[in-house]
Amino acid sequence: MIGDLYQSPLRYGGTYEESSVDGITPRPHWAGLMESLQSMGPAELAFRWTQAEQRIRENGITYNMYGDPLGVHRPWKIDLVPLLIPDAEWRFIEAGIIQRAELLNLVLEDVYHSQSLLKEGLLPAALIYPNPAFLRPLVGVKVSRASYLHMLAIDLARSPDGKWWVLANRTQAPSGSGYALENRLIVSELLPELFRTSNVQRLAPFFRAQRDALAQLSERNNPRIVLLTPGPHNETYFEHSYLAKYLGFTLVEGADLIVRDRCVFIKTVSGLEQVDVILRRVDDDFCDPLELRGDSLLGVSGLVQAVVAGNVKVANALGSGVVESAAIMPFLPGLARHLLDDELKLPSVATWWCGQGSALNWVVDNLQSVVVKPAFSSLGMEPVFGSELAAAERERLIERLRCSPHEYVAQEQVQLSTAPVWENEALQSRSLVLRTYVVNTGDGWLAFPGGLVRVAEASGSVVSMQRGGHSKDAWVLSDGPVDTFSMLPPRNELVPLRRASLVVPSSVADNIFWLGRYVERAENQARILRSIIPRVHLADDAELGSLICLASCLGTRSARLADGNRGRPSFNALRRELLALLTDQNRTDSLGATLAEVSRIGDSVRERLSGDMMLLLSQLSSSVQAQKGTFLTSYTAMLTKCLELLSAFSGMERENINRGSGWLFLSLGRRLERAIYLTHELRHVTKPLAVENWAYLERLLEVADSTVTYRTRYYTHLQPLAVLDILMADEHNPRSLDFQLDHLAELYAKLPRNLSADLRAIQDAVSSLRNIDLQAITQRINTPGSYPVEGYVEVDQFLARLQNLLPSWSNNLSSHYFSHARTLPITMGID
Amino acid sequence: MLYNVSHRTTYLYSYPVSVGEHVACLKPRSFSRNKLVQNKLTIDPQPSNLTERIDYFGNILSFFTVEEPHKVLIVEAKSQVEINSQANSATSLSLPWEESARSLAQDRSDVGLAAYQFQFASPRVRLNQEFASYALKSFTPGRPMRDALMELTARIYADFRFDSKATTVRTPPEEVFRKRQGVCQDFAHVEIACLRSINVAARYVSGYLRTYPPPGKPRMVGADASHAWISAYSRDEGWLDMDPTNNVAPTDGHVTLAWGRDYGDVSPLRGLILGGGGNALHVEVDIEPLDV
Repeated sequence: MIGDLYQSPLRYGGTYEESSVDGITPRPHWAGLMESLQSMGPAELAFRWTQAEQRIRENGITYNMYGDPLGVHRPWKIDLVPLLIPDAEWRFIEAGIIQRAELLNLVLEDVYHSQSLLKEGLLPAALIYPNPAFLRPLVGVKVSRASYLHMLAIDLARSPDGKWWVLANRTQAPSGSGYALENRLIVSELLPELFRTSNVQRLAPFFRAQRDALAQLSERNNPRIVLLTPGPHNETYFEHSYLAKYLGFTLVEGADLIVRDRCVFIKTVSGLEQVDVILRRVDDDFCDPLELRGDSLLGVSGLVQAVVAGNVKVANALGSGVVESAAIMPFLPGLARHLLDDELKLPSVATWWCGQGSALNWVVDNLQSVVVKPAFSSLGMEPVFGSELAAAERERLIERLRCSPHEYVAQEQVQLSTAPVWENEALQSRSLVLRTYVVNTGDGWLAFPGGLVRVAEASGSVVSMQRGGHSKDAWVLSDGPVDTFSMLPPRNELVPLRRASLVVPSSVADNIFWLGRYVERAENQARILRSIIPRVHLADDAELGSLICLASCLGTRSARLADGNRGRPSFNALRRELLALLTDQNRTDSLGATLAEVSRIGDSVRERLSGDMMLLLSQLSSSVQAQKGTFLTSYTAMLTKCLELLSAFSGMERENINRGSGWLFLSLGRRLERAIYLTHELRHVTKPLAVENWAYLERLLEVADSTVTYRTRYYTHLQPLAVLDILMADEHNPRSLDFQLDHLAELYAKLPRNLSADLRAIQDAVSSLRNIDLQAITQRINTPGSYPVEGYVEVDQFLARLQNLLPSWSNNLSSHYFSHARTLPITMGID
Repeated sequence: MLYNVSHRTTYLYSYPVSVGEHVACLKPRSFSRNKLVQNKLTIDPQPSNLTERIDYFGNILSFFTVEEPHKVLIVEAKSQVEINSQANSATSLSLPWEESARSLAQDRSDVGLAAYQFQFASPRVRLNQEFASYALKSFTPGRPMRDALMELTARIYADFRFDSKATTVRTPPEEVFRKRQGVCQDFAHVEIACLRSINVAARYVSGYLRTYPPPGKPRMVGADASHAWISAYSRDEGWLDMDPTNNVAPTDGHVTLAWGRDYGDVSPLRGLILGGGGNALHVEVDIEPLDV
């Protein structure tokens, strides 16, 4: 028996329990899973569960909850135990959801063309005309292959008698299939033996069909397909980047696209590239601020024009949200008979559209047993549970219903079925909703075998990921062997060789450039801090000056280091300042703030980085957050760890990233940032430096990781000129200024639409640098112990000039390659 | 009556606009008593492309993109329109208003459906009980449609004060209703809200109004303005135009440009610009009757 895995019998209330009839004996198709869970035992399950959580963290699978303190980066919650669906039952569900997909697609075609359903009275006009999702500019516009719904999601629930019912149809930009795929990858890895032996239907054919279907929407041979996301703040942004990566589409935001002459283009660093198909995750009316919602910042101005002209295909078609309304449900059986000559196979949960007089009266009389919802989602009303209303609220609601009845629907409150969930080291019973998916292949429809199972947070409560629920994998158990296709093409299929990779949208190049700059900045900050910290405790007053000098390279102003009473620099002030520079997130010049930026930017270009790189970035930001306290020395280990991770990242950057435009901008960012730090650091050497502060030179060598080089050349004899030679002029030292400038020139030469003026300026800087004769300066300065400034005038002037030039080069890169991706249009004329 | 209409919009920006994408609804639509003879749209700077599309309501939209940096945008529409007088039948002859409104929901003919969609709330016109009770004072049981409509129009004219400073293009009808002041667009929205709140289909009409110079003075060119009024649907008489700003049923002094559910569907010029900073808007309208 498997009872010992449960804290209490699984069944509660009168609901249907998926795994068992009586709460003890498993249903036949659950027997294998239950047996295997039991044989693993709670300890092993707990162990595997921690593995899963680790995978989720490592893969950065997140779901953003609006108004949640964890904000973005809330880890996705997934359950270890899959929902099992036997073959025969799945075939029934599959036929039902495919029929529904076909039906809704036909309804859309009718609504946007002949409107014969309205004329024949099969669909009330009051359900379409006032619906803001009915997009008038799209009426009469031809849709490629009549594929209004490229993909749709249908939410299912099982009632106590074991029947499946449709709760909702998601027809504009359904989410979750990417999470379902990620769930599958994790759960199949956690229960590998079981997965192998259970004949679980695979998911890859669905995604292949989706990719092919999108490509076929365009008449072009090798169409460019982009995935349009509302951006990193969207609740399912992780999924957008994940699917873009998995399907091989370019991930774009509205600002990356532009319409010219009724064609859509993507703004890339090398210019405009035409887009053929847009898979959108932006809601209907937000897609075009020019013709749909003027206040939308997520869309593409002029998109409707391009769609009308047939120059771009959008999936799902703009306007498909009009059949998402629950109000359509009571009419589906009639529509099925009329359009498909068939009975509706999968019933909808009982729904009353108040626009019908009899339904309104019924709802008013039976308010306590229904949930009232807006018929048009844009009305922004939360569902109201009739049973929870006080008398006065009831009256107000009834008045609203009577005032504009067509704006409301009422639905029966559904008793959801339950399934076992592994929680608190035991199996618990939780209500669930199964979100299924159907894709339009052009020749027919293909169902996603299984779906995304969403589980209530606590037993019996509402199922909603937005309210903190879990998710589950769903296994459709095949009676026979399954198609084990993966997204990889078969070995015998010839693939045309391609060298060019995905285009790099300007906004992505912008982010990558700043990723390069911030990663390098973090390294410089960490190196400087690590060099100062151990000495703060040991140093005598004499050394304070050199440490302050170094701290100033972090951007610290001397005023910060002044002690309150005496107004002079003190160790205590320096200690406080260093602590702030380490962790104070409110200071933009702190290491903590830099790493937070690294993590934010890394997150927004995650589809461009390998899993290993993302893993490093997430470890980086947690490494500094984890360290607390005011004991300065304890931070040394953290800094070393941080530097290790940064080195690993730069190693991957050098060895693992394809040298395309993306890498180019990453390297540009890195070289510019390093040159900026070096110039700042070296300028201290060209200014009067008291002899007792010559220790600064030693610190500088340490920061630039050039101590060993120096010792092999000069032993322990510290000389400003020798330091300058190694850190400024030595073209073989990867941490010298010469090396940075030389590489910048090389990178600039490779830029598309190159910035020739800046390239020349960089080349000039390289030759000026090489014209500085340090040896001659040595000869001018005869007394080695003194520090005559005059000798360094030439060097200082050069560095000063460079200090101005470097930021200007960075700004020019921005305005030349990225700026147009950042400007947001302003709406005019409507207010 | 033949009119020459010129409608010139000037946008002055504080900073150059690098790209401007615009939709203009400035070409008068043609129908039975409102015939477009000719129209010319002049845009400065020269747009990189200009396309025309008929919208869902049958209005003519012009889409254009200005891609050269500019600090001034001038859009000028010059049209010639021929207006035939609207028949003004005796008010008492129309059907009781309830018959017109109630049966519209059951009328699934093309004409019926086309009218029915104007019976609902729209983005800028939300409905409520206050609008309904205001309307019902005129729409008393059994009263002929045209009679009730004229009285409602007259009451709005009497109860609301014309004040071009009191409202903006964004002011919701509820606020206009509370303040009892506004401009032609506001009065049109209020009357539409009143009518729809009692299930009478009503649409927003944008256009121009012929103005008369003071006796003995010459007509002042460019002193006119674009105008807005409403049209309500009656099953036996069709669409009935009413101008609450002037308390008239338009005859041959109103030139129709376009109609829609509310101002948002027919705003004369809207768009998205990159850059620009602040902007100043200047509109000059001139209506010149040709055959007096």
